[in-house]
Amino acid sequence: MVVEDLVKRFKDVVAVNGISFCIKREEIFALLGPNGAGKTTTIHIIATLLKPTKGRVLVAGYDVVREADKVRKKIGIVFQDPSLDNQLTGYDNMYIHGKLYGLKGRELHEKIMKLLDLVELKDFAHKKVMYYSGGMRRRLEIARSLLHEPEILVLDEPTIGLDPQSRARIWDYIKYLKKEFSMTILMTTHYMDEAEELADRIAIMDKGKILAMGTADQLKSMLGQDVVYVTVDNMNSGINNICNMFSFAKICKALGGNRLELVVDNATKALPEIFHIAGSKGLKITEVSYRRPTLNEVFLHLTGRELRDSPESHPIPRKRMVRFR
Amino acid sequence: MSAFNAFTAMMYRQLKRWWNARSRVIMTILNPLIWMVFLGLGWGSIFNPQNIPSIPGIPNIPNIVEMLKSAIDNYFKQLFGGVGYVAFMLTGVVVMTAFMGSFISGISVIWDKQFGFLKETLVAPAPRSVVILGRIVGDSIVTTIQSLVIVMLSTILTNEINLVNTPLAMCYIFIMSLGFTSLGTAISLKFRSMEGFQMVVNLMTMPLVFMSGVFYPVTTMPEWMKLLSKFNPLTYSVHAVRYWLANADVGFEYMDPLTDLTILTMFTVAMMIIAMKTFEKTTLED
Repeated sequence: MVVEDLVKRFKDVVAVNGISFCIKREEIFALLGPNGAGKTTTIHIIATLLKPTKGRVLVAGYDVVREADKVRKKIGIVFQDPSLDNQLTGYDNMYIHGKLYGLKGRELHEKIMKLLDLVELKDFAHKKVMYYSGGMRRRLEIARSLLHEPEILVLDEPTIGLDPQSRARIWDYIKYLKKEFSMTILMTTHYMDEAEELADRIAIMDKGKILAMGTADQLKSMLGQDVVYVTVDNMNSGINNICNMFSFAKICKALGGNRLELVVDNATKALPEIFHIAGSKGLKITEVSYRRPTLNEVFLHLTGRELRDSPESHPIPRKRMVRFR
Repeated sequence: MSAFNAFTAMMYRQLKRWWNARSRVIMTILNPLIWMVFLGLGWGSIFNPQNIPSIPGIPNIPNIVEMLKSAIDNYFKQLFGGVGYVAFMLTGVVVMTAFMGSFISGISVIWDKQFGFLKETLVAPAPRSVVILGRIVGDSIVTTIQSLVIVMLSTILTNEINLVNTPLAMCYIFIMSLGFTSLGTAISLKFRSMEGFQMVVNLMTMPLVFMSGVFYPVTTMPEWMKLLSKFNPLTYSVHAVRYWLANADVGFEYMDPLTDLTILTMFTVAMMIIAMKTFEKTTLED
């Protein structure tokens, strides 16, 4: 799957701003980023539900705009929001999906039962979906997306809003699909642990752009061994002067709120040195912490913000305001 | 072949949903029943010449009373196509039920938008025109069944219904339902909220019903209303259904069951094309 210079502009918001990536066969690729980063918009374009403003997307060699029907056959998708018919049973939801994808008869029935068995919903097959729990609905949606044996599975925030047990279970299914069927999977998530646990490669996305891409280890090694965060009482002497003091740091960068990021080889040895230098130059340190880099530190490094405190800014297309909706 | 599968899948889904919500089924029948009982029986006796002699001022001379009675009787018979008002109106209400039901059934598209199922049908590889057609046919079958129930109930209130011709009348009902379901579906594809759609429904359905000859004959309408009702597809289905169910030919002089069929079919085909085109262009931005 190839995404080239993709741009999606809604009336007054640019949701996706020129992203490119490609996904190899049998790989799990994760788009990691806060809400409003443009992940779901990207997914909707790949799923042929939105038309790109600019750029090209090829899924299994087919163009999502010109050959939408071929693309639709190749992908199985689990949306972020539920997309089940609550008033029908789990079995009927699967059955209708199968028929929409051209399956029928005994073959369809057997596939449905096999997949319901896989996601442990066989006993609830003939219960209406409205009585399912959130985790059960998600599992049903995953089973449904696999029914037509897609080449690429697209999971948009597969574990959002689920309790830890249900999340772990979904993770197990995803790992199982990779192991047993060598499935190509594109997923989005705003959980760092999820991306790290499941994905072969991760693209960090924020404000419609991809900031970095690589395996979890590659991303973390952008930062070296340890990261020290120093908060000082003021930055009046200028960031360059302050950074010159700490010349031993591999990276020295100002973050928001008088906070400095220093990437060092060994934080335990660097800390006393930092205090010593700061003391001798009259710089007052109010707070110090250090962490082994995780994807959160990578995100912080790239954006100056923590992943978890990114503002919610979901683009709501405001158009044709006279209409009643 | 796979396209046909998608068609039956959507039809199956609409029918199954309807069957699963049986309490709603009662409601859709109760509403026309209220019209039938209160308006039908209430007005029915007004148009009954048996009540004439009690009017003061008419000399109680047997011949004159008989003459007046038969004159008034003939007048009403002519107005209502040779049947009593109850049969006249009930046959109209059958069409009204199908019309309201089919137009409103478009709202299921908005439900599907809100509950997300529409996305599932939008990413399906089956041709969109077939998917939406399956929906429309499924919903039309539902409304046709509902009006069949109304026909059965109306036999309790009058004995002037010709049940032998019911299948013929149902053909007209089904064709008309396809048309108005398509229209309702196309409109609701453009809406995101129930309220907005509900408003359109209220704005459109009542005038269309009143200008179709359900409650009074089109022939006695003011000229401007006559003109408008000629462009109302409902007028033709009311005429045809009344023709078959009550053997009453009430309408403009050019109307006959074949003309009605032609006009209704043309209307329905046009609406179906509009619905298919709208659905083909639908993205998540609408």
